[in-house]
Amino acid sequence: MNLESNTVYIVDDDASFLTSIARLLRAAGYSVQAFDSAQKFLDQLAPGMAGCVLADLHMPGLNGLELQAALAKSASPLPMVFMSGQGDIPSTVQAMRRGAEDFLTKLAPKDKLLDAVRRALERGVQERKSRQHLQELRGRFAALTARELEVLEHVVLGKMNKEIADDLGINERTVKLHRTNLTRTLQVQSVAELTRLVVEAGLFKCEKPE
Amino acid sequence: MVFLVVFVAAIFGNVRCLAVNVTNLANSQPKRVLMLFSEAKDVPGNIMLEQAVKAEMLKDSTDPVVFSSEYLDASHFSGKEHFRVFQNYIGKKYTANDLDLVLAFPSQDYTLAGELPDALFPVVPVVFVAINEMDAPLEISKLGVTGIVQRFDIRGTLGLIKRLQPDTRRVVVIGGSTPTDRATLGRIEEASQSLEGVQFEFWTNRPVAELPGLVRSLPEGTVILLGSILRDVTGQTYYTPQVAQMLAPQASVPVYVLGGWSLGTGALGGSVVDPEDLGARAGQLALRVLAGADPENIPIDVATKGTPMVDWRAIKRLGIKESRVPAGTVIRFRPETLWDEHRDLILILLAVFLAQAATITGLLVQRRERLRAEAEIMNQRTELAHVTRVSTMGQLTSTLAHELNQPLGAILRNAEAAEIFLQKENPDLEEIRAILADIRKDDRRAGHVISRMRSLLKRRSLELKSLDIAELLEEAISMAQPDARARRVFLALQLREKLPAVRGDRVHLQQVLLNLILNGMDSMAGVAASQRLLTVSAKTTGGKTVEVSVSDTGAGIAPDKIERLFEPFFTTKPNGMGMGLAISQTIIEAHGGKIWGGNNETRGAVFFFTLPVDDK
Repeated sequence: MNLESNTVYIVDDDASFLTSIARLLRAAGYSVQAFDSAQKFLDQLAPGMAGCVLADLHMPGLNGLELQAALAKSASPLPMVFMSGQGDIPSTVQAMRRGAEDFLTKLAPKDKLLDAVRRALERGVQERKSRQHLQELRGRFAALTARELEVLEHVVLGKMNKEIADDLGINERTVKLHRTNLTRTLQVQSVAELTRLVVEAGLFKCEKPE
Repeated sequence: MVFLVVFVAAIFGNVRCLAVNVTNLANSQPKRVLMLFSEAKDVPGNIMLEQAVKAEMLKDSTDPVVFSSEYLDASHFSGKEHFRVFQNYIGKKYTANDLDLVLAFPSQDYTLAGELPDALFPVVPVVFVAINEMDAPLEISKLGVTGIVQRFDIRGTLGLIKRLQPDTRRVVVIGGSTPTDRATLGRIEEASQSLEGVQFEFWTNRPVAELPGLVRSLPEGTVILLGSILRDVTGQTYYTPQVAQMLAPQASVPVYVLGGWSLGTGALGGSVVDPEDLGARAGQLALRVLAGADPENIPIDVATKGTPMVDWRAIKRLGIKESRVPAGTVIRFRPETLWDEHRDLILILLAVFLAQAATITGLLVQRRERLRAEAEIMNQRTELAHVTRVSTMGQLTSTLAHELNQPLGAILRNAEAAEIFLQKENPDLEEIRAILADIRKDDRRAGHVISRMRSLLKRRSLELKSLDIAELLEEAISMAQPDARARRVFLALQLREKLPAVRGDRVHLQQVLLNLILNGMDSMAGVAASQRLLTVSAKTTGGKTVEVSVSDTGAGIAPDKIERLFEPFFTTKPNGMGMGLAISQTIIEAHGGKIWGGNNETRGAVFFFTLPVDDK
């Protein structure tokens, strides 16, 4: 498992091109791992892997777009940069719509290539940070009991303790006790802060008015 | 033209004949002609003349003509008594009522044409033919008799001598003692005056019997001119041709004669009296008179012109050049040439040959036309092959760009990496060396792609070489591979045995293979990606050919379309040109192979082609 944030995973079936681009990126200061097929790359993919993927569009077996789809579903949705001997518009559009960082021809200038790789890595770092933050948040919410979550849901909707007690069919005092417990667990000071955390963690999305 | 005239004449003759039959039935009695000869029956000139006259009259007469001939034989039986007996005999034998015409052939004198018929048949018209140097006496004309006096052409004969033998210095003249003979000699003497530088000798006093011995050793530059000789000095009677026959074979020099009847004896020739020509003229005159013309109104015709005539055998024997013989000379006794003998056969053969030649020429022309057309077609096919190749290339553009961009991209990245390495304080030279080696390798790879592309795009004719079929198939597969990847098709090459070399043109065969592979890939567009399989395989069949197959798992070919697959412009693709398989067929057939296609048992289509094994 490689957790370095500047690792570039290169996937291309053309051995010669694979060697040359790996060489360039290494010279440019990146950590590089090269794979001659998409499947081989996916096989060693592990959760929490950092970096970005630089893949050829046309490959035997899984092609670039299929790799992109598989990667998106995985635990490590690394940002992707596509390369192609000759790009075609439908593939480019599809790749970009699915969130590719860039789509380059194999003869693209070095600066454009390095720039795309840099952006992809940065995005990777960002996305990883937000993913970690989210995970931490969700971890905190995960410590709540089912009743506390029920009460929390009503609190962030701005309901009074009496209303909550009526809704849930419990004693108003019991509601107060749950509120105290969950603010302590979540380490928040105010209802406003509690509401922000709930939104950040993406809880109760279905009931939030759009 | 001559035939036409004769034909027309024959028609008119018939018409006239019919007319006579209808209007003048009573007068259609045969015409009776009495022919009276001064000389004996066996005189050669007379025989020829008599036959010629009869033939001429029978040829042109509208009525039948009946001839009777009587011979006085004056040379053997001279004297008035004999003549009287002859006249009595004629008078008893014929009556004027029986006769329509008397034709007299007088020789010594003209009594036969004048007194005799006048005495016996005063009402019957008389026509005479005399070969005589003496003019007809005046009383003949008074009796209302007409005829032809034919003289010997002595000047013409002397001219012919000078022409045939310009070196002639001496002419030995031989003649007889009858009045006719002497008249002829007189004419020769007269004519001799006109010939300068030539000496004339008249051998009139020598017996004919001695002459053969005398002529045997005549010197060069001498010729013999035989006049008329009916009787010699000894009183012995002769016919001129008889004397000619005695002399000519013995003589050391040529013998010239004055009568056509003397030819064939060995005599060379002369400007002679031609009995056939004279007979024809006499016959025509007789017919005129028979038809009713009054002899009194027809003047006596005195002719002196002869017919130049030579004996071909004598010409050859005496070594006279044929080119000296004047044009228009009648040449007798020339052996018949093949042409004369087999004219019809030769004409038929010639016609056959000409027809054959024409046919052959026609066939040759046709063949040339065909070859030219074939060359033209071949040319057009090459052109078309090029066009389809270019269009195949068009289908392969993504492939080719990809193939080219791989090595170019690698070169670019390597160069860029090297730049970065070199900027470092302690550049890793090993790494840079490896980079340069890779650049060189990729450069070669790009070059190969380009030359392959160029060879496919080039217009070219067939160049048959020994080819490794496995290599050829691998090459085609690798060319199609990038395209197959893009289309998610799995390409497989199955070679179960070691294959012999084939004879073929690499580029053209690659075109065929690529065409079949691309067709196969096209047909699998509607099939799930996991099932898109295109298999190229090859095997030896019968040791003489290699059979290549390209099989797909696509939609297959509709059964009703299988037969039309190789037709030009037949296509099942929405934007296909329909030339791919037609061109493939042309190429394979040009290799001496076959190409065919059909459906696989399970699914998809399969195409086969064969190539002859290179046996060198």
